[in-house]
Amino acid sequence: MTTIRVENLSKIFKKGKTEVKAVDNVSITIDSGMAFGVLGPSGHGKTTFLRLIAGLEEPTSGYIYFDNEAVSSPRRVMMSPEKRGIAMVFQNWALYPNMTVFDNIAFPLKLAKVPKDKIENKVKEVSEELGLSDALNRYPKELSGGQMQRTAIARALVKDPKVLLLDEPFSNLDAQIRESARALVRKIQRERKLTTLIVSHDPADIFAIANKAGVIVNGKFAQIGTPTEIYEYPATDLIARLTGEINLIQAKIIENNAIIANLKVPLNNMELKGQSNIVIGLRPDDLTLSDTLLDKYIDMGIVKVKLVSYGAGIFKIVVSPITDENIDIIVDAEEPLETGIETHLLAKPNKVKIFDLNGSNLITSKTQIIK
Amino acid sequence: MERSVSKGSYITSSIKYALLEIIAAILVIMWLVPLYAMILGGLKSNLEAASTPILLPPSKPSLDAYAFAWFGYATIPGLEPTLLRYLLVAIPSVLLSVVIGTMTAYFFFVLSEKHGIISNGLFSIMALATFLPIETVTFPLIELETSLNVYNTYIGLIFAMLIFYVPTSALLMSIFLPVVPKYLIESARMDGAGDWTILWRVVFPLIFPGFLSTLIFVFLQIWNEFFIPLILTNTPNMLMLPVAARFYTAAYALIYNRSFAAGVISSLIPLIIFIFLGRYFIRGLAALGGGAKGV
Repeated sequence: MTTIRVENLSKIFKKGKTEVKAVDNVSITIDSGMAFGVLGPSGHGKTTFLRLIAGLEEPTSGYIYFDNEAVSSPRRVMMSPEKRGIAMVFQNWALYPNMTVFDNIAFPLKLAKVPKDKIENKVKEVSEELGLSDALNRYPKELSGGQMQRTAIARALVKDPKVLLLDEPFSNLDAQIRESARALVRKIQRERKLTTLIVSHDPADIFAIANKAGVIVNGKFAQIGTPTEIYEYPATDLIARLTGEINLIQAKIIENNAIIANLKVPLNNMELKGQSNIVIGLRPDDLTLSDTLLDKYIDMGIVKVKLVSYGAGIFKIVVSPITDENIDIIVDAEEPLETGIETHLLAKPNKVKIFDLNGSNLITSKTQIIK
Repeated sequence: MERSVSKGSYITSSIKYALLEIIAAILVIMWLVPLYAMILGGLKSNLEAASTPILLPPSKPSLDAYAFAWFGYATIPGLEPTLLRYLLVAIPSVLLSVVIGTMTAYFFFVLSEKHGIISNGLFSIMALATFLPIETVTFPLIELETSLNVYNTYIGLIFAMLIFYVPTSALLMSIFLPVVPKYLIESARMDGAGDWTILWRVVFPLIFPGFLSTLIFVFLQIWNEFFIPLILTNTPNMLMLPVAARFYTAAYALIYNRSFAAGVISSLIPLIIFIFLGRYFIRGLAALGGGAKGV
């Protein structure tokens, strides 16, 4: 519905004499109807980027365009937030505690001087869509976390916005309902074709909702691509860690094999630009433990089971190479193993990630990397 | 072992609690003794009030002194009309002061988002008025009121009260305002609310306990105000309670039982307010510490 274009956008905060570059010369276009996810460690400029788009902060330099119309320019918010056609869901939902759910949802419409009967219809319609019909007369403090979040979303949607901004919208929800909340937001975004910007530190939020994502590190987009691209081909070891759990282990290259103690990963003549020491990245779900060789896997060598834990439907098994107990490798498994036993560690060879010692991925030629 | 430790800590905490209660009780008694003496003194005859120990109950209690102070006698004005008159000044003054003060505090709160230095500078200058001794502006104030033709009128008195108590209210409300989460204000702004709507529909309900506390505090200040009604009125039909009550302490020799009675009458309103609204005052102060969940 609206294309957002950002040009050379910077935001510098001054704290006494030190300057913090929260957003550093970012240029990006978010196409109409796209759900764009911004991932990054906390304090690296994600929320500032979102607030700049919202018009809650003025840029230090650079421009923001909504459909080719400049809305922010250096040190100036040219179009104020309420005129941008945006709706924002805040991390803690920002519900007005003195108003009922109905009044919360109706608030933007009342301010827009929409006739009373129209307000009622509209609120009913949205609250039905979000399953809030029974809660309309309750106050925010009487709601569950999920209901509060749906009220916040309802209040955002009731204005028929062109752009939806989500700031860590799921981080205050219980783990059990987070999945259904993500599904709901995804459904709404796809149905209404809302240009959406979602900011989160949790890759699961991004994977569930975004069809394109960017990773912000130190105020810059370190990598932009589809969520799967970023997950499979992270540009650096930091991005690999931000997008999901990963084992990062130092290895030596000997005769085209990466050697980790008694373990071995064949490198199949990959071009490694004369590196002799590298970092191997192995995601726990690309590894398995078995005494027999399985299809699509390679055998890395014998490991010893050190620790078994359970969480979120899978077992996490920590193993070590039998010749070096200081190296820990986490493996996802459907069934537990007894600690102390020895078995073979298998890996999917096409999923192995290889970084140089500075953390740059050596096999990411397929993805677009902005550095 | 563990039991004895927890038992020990239970005993120390009980002792601590008991000590605090005793200290509180002593403080309460200290504050109540003058009130007790004042009420009793008003029930005594003048001779008895002057000659018996102040804490001793009267031998023949009588309401004569109270009746005298309330209704007046011959040319000596009673306190009843002055009390009602002063309510007519105090109530609009306190409401206007605190409402305008709240708006002022919100203005500086919003201004500080973008222009912190300007906001702080202006606010400091304004807050100085809170600490300004009224005596220093006696002449300019009288001159101003005369030239505006409001000297010796209700409007004039209320106007003067506002000059001094709007800054006080703004200062107090600015302590409560930052308790409102910033994201609520931003959210309302994105919903299309202007500052007027944000203040009264979103912010005000959340700082209402603080608003009440300020209201009570400023009311007590105005009720105890002596100098403003003294210098800005000059006819008997504009005589105000704080001034009239002083007549009983010195103007006509010292008649002890009547001055006690006058004292009780002039503290009636603050007493009523504190007995019935005291908990709101405390609640407002508590809201400051507890992150102010509001309402």
